[in-house]
Amino acid sequence: MLRITNLGKSYGSARVLSGIDLDVQPHDVLAIIGPSGSGKSTLLKCINFLERYDEGEVRFGGQLVGYVEAGGRRRPATERETNRIRAEIGMVFQNFNLFPHMTTLQNVIEGPIRVRGVARDEAVRDAERLLAKVGLADKRDVRPTKLSGGQQQRAAIARALAMRPRLMLFDEPTSALDPELVGEVLTTMRELAAEGMTMVIVTHEMSFARDVASRVVFMEGGRIVEEGPPGKIFTNPDNARTREFLARVLH
Amino acid sequence: MQYQWQFAIVLEYWPIFARGAVTTLQITLLSSIIGLFIGLLVGVSRESAGTAVRVVTSIYVELIRATPALVQIVWLYYCFPIIFGVQLSAMTSIIVALGIHSGAYISEIVRAGINAVDTGQFLAAKSIGMNHFTALRRIILPQAGQKMIPPLINEFANLMKLTTLGSTIAVYELLQESNNLIATTYRPLEIYTFLAIFFFIITYPWIWLSQRLERRLKMRA
Repeated sequence: MLRITNLGKSYGSARVLSGIDLDVQPHDVLAIIGPSGSGKSTLLKCINFLERYDEGEVRFGGQLVGYVEAGGRRRPATERETNRIRAEIGMVFQNFNLFPHMTTLQNVIEGPIRVRGVARDEAVRDAERLLAKVGLADKRDVRPTKLSGGQQQRAAIARALAMRPRLMLFDEPTSALDPELVGEVLTTMRELAAEGMTMVIVTHEMSFARDVASRVVFMEGGRIVEEGPPGKIFTNPDNARTREFLARVLH
Repeated sequence: MQYQWQFAIVLEYWPIFARGAVTTLQITLLSSIIGLFIGLLVGVSRESAGTAVRVVTSIYVELIRATPALVQIVWLYYCFPIIFGVQLSAMTSIIVALGIHSGAYISEIVRAGINAVDTGQFLAAKSIGMNHFTALRRIILPQAGQKMIPPLINEFANLMKLTTLGSTIAVYELLQESNNLIATTYRPLEIYTFLAIFFFIITYPWIWLSQRLERRLKMRA
């Protein structure tokens, strides 16, 4: 479903990603862990081209993301081409980024109506179902500023799901939350994973990664250091750096 | 001072002031509309359009901001017809010139408003596949608009005062009417004093409103 090959990115002379290879199959739940500044979030944003990459390729459903191949060369994709792919990939941000001038319901129906061209009635029905699913049915007419952090993040998940994505990206979804609010968001994500949603999650929640992820990727210095099933990564990693990192964060 | 103030003169000629005030208001409103239109267009394209458009709009903004409004007005009235062969009436000239003038300032207000919106909002809009224009219209500008209102009201008050420049090309706004009245009544002290008070009365409420809204916005943030 998602194939990343030899991906590289630099800001001027600073390399932030190099030689990233990654393969995500349908129903995979991939957790990306690693120290701050290791390029995890940048990698995630390259998948839906919120960050431009310079080398290698990202393919979603076989289609190149952000570029178009023509006659052996590639040119930047038009906005329309990129948006078509973005519409199929949901993203949840660390700071929620809900639209503050809209109610929770309006946040959720905005994408379906404006981007997918869904009729309003249908979008509202769908949004109500999604809000009920994330436990916010009673908050549909409330502005995001009136919601707790955990509620905001669940609303943001509903907003992303309303686009009926085939893949969901989570960029440190619980990092901005008070500790007591982390659980409710993780529960929602856990349910999503159980339903078979394909997910790529950048996270610092190691126990969540261990329980929910089907695969764990450890990144450092813009590279993938080690990749494997959580059972292996968390108990018996091959790489010394992975061991050091886990020893640091697990205690 | 031994001067005998005779403000009765102002009362006596009130229809003339009323006529001038109507013209002043017309100029202010029409040039505001032009300025708002130009400002929105230029402000948005300086933030999002391609390089060529950005260069052209930047030149416009800097050129206008670095030349006096009075020079812009006389240039449009006296030079423009000679170069382009189209003579605009004095009234049209002042409206268009002030519209172009305020457009440059309003575009900066628009730009600052857009920049003040959290970048995460753009990311969120893009992540659901929204195109740039829709994101601006639906997500960014409604949020920027709120921040833009106080400086826009302030700009409106500025325009109100700038209308007096119309007197240099014989537009019958408040100052020009006053000058004419002085020529017949020989009462410059009363008339200019009244004029100053009158401008204060029509301008200050806007400045007050702008400050009040700005404080309210700050408190909510």
